[in-house]
Amino acid sequence: MQAVLEAVVEPRRREILRLVRVGEASAGSIAAHFPDVSRPTVSQHLRVLRDAGLLHERRDGTRRLYRTRFEGFTEARAFFEEFWDDRLAVLKVAAEAEQRRKDADRDR
Amino acid sequence: MPTETAEPLIREIDIDAAPETVFEFFTDPAKLTRWLAVEATLDPRPGGVCHQVHEGAGPEHRRFSMEGEFVEVDAPKRVVFTWGFSGPDAVVRPGGSTVEVTLSPIDTGTRVRLVHRGLPAAAVADHSGGWTMMLARLAEAVQGA
Repeated sequence: MQAVLEAVVEPRRREILRLVRVGEASAGSIAAHFPDVSRPTVSQHLRVLRDAGLLHERRDGTRRLYRTRFEGFTEARAFFEEFWDDRLAVLKVAAEAEQRRKDADRDR
Repeated sequence: MPTETAEPLIREIDIDAAPETVFEFFTDPAKLTRWLAVEATLDPRPGGVCHQVHEGAGPEHRRFSMEGEFVEVDAPKRVVFTWGFSGPDAVVRPGGSTVEVTLSPIDTGTRVRLVHRGLPAAAVADHSGGWTMMLARLAEAVQGA
């Protein structure tokens, strides 16, 4: 999950995911969308996304083609589950402490 | 806006405290800030505001504004509020999803059942890019919090 989150934190990487969500695109045509970004930087973004499981990569001759790998996002659900599990665990501790305080006040 | 939504997310936890005690943690700002948010403005009645500020754990301590509204308030049994974030990038916008909390008395205290409905499905993840932005924000909000 950490890799997914780190991958999507960078705005240009989110832009790349949008570019290839419908169809495949080559590394060259993806780079052409970012005239202000160096080619090695774009390649680095593609690597981060691929390693996070969010991009599918295939070779066609000398070209590398990319498309969004939606399975990578299924972890997003786990993120929300974890969010609520963590919060509810804290709620349990806080509410139980509150109950003990109330009970002690009543018994006093 | 995504039109497709995922199955509701359902969580349950048993708490050794009376339903009345647990309920206050959803409606009293001083208590809600002990477990869910760093700041809260709550007007627990249908249509009342349910605003929560979540603070990021990153070095910038960015703050994220959850702008919800109470839909149902039935102490000490049930509370429902909308859940969404302000900002141009948020895919779950204010009113976009709903958190339903049901408290049932059990022998040892209270069973809390939380159902979060209306979260966007992964398949529509990047139609707007907002889903990933939302994740990025939440990640910052939750990590180490």
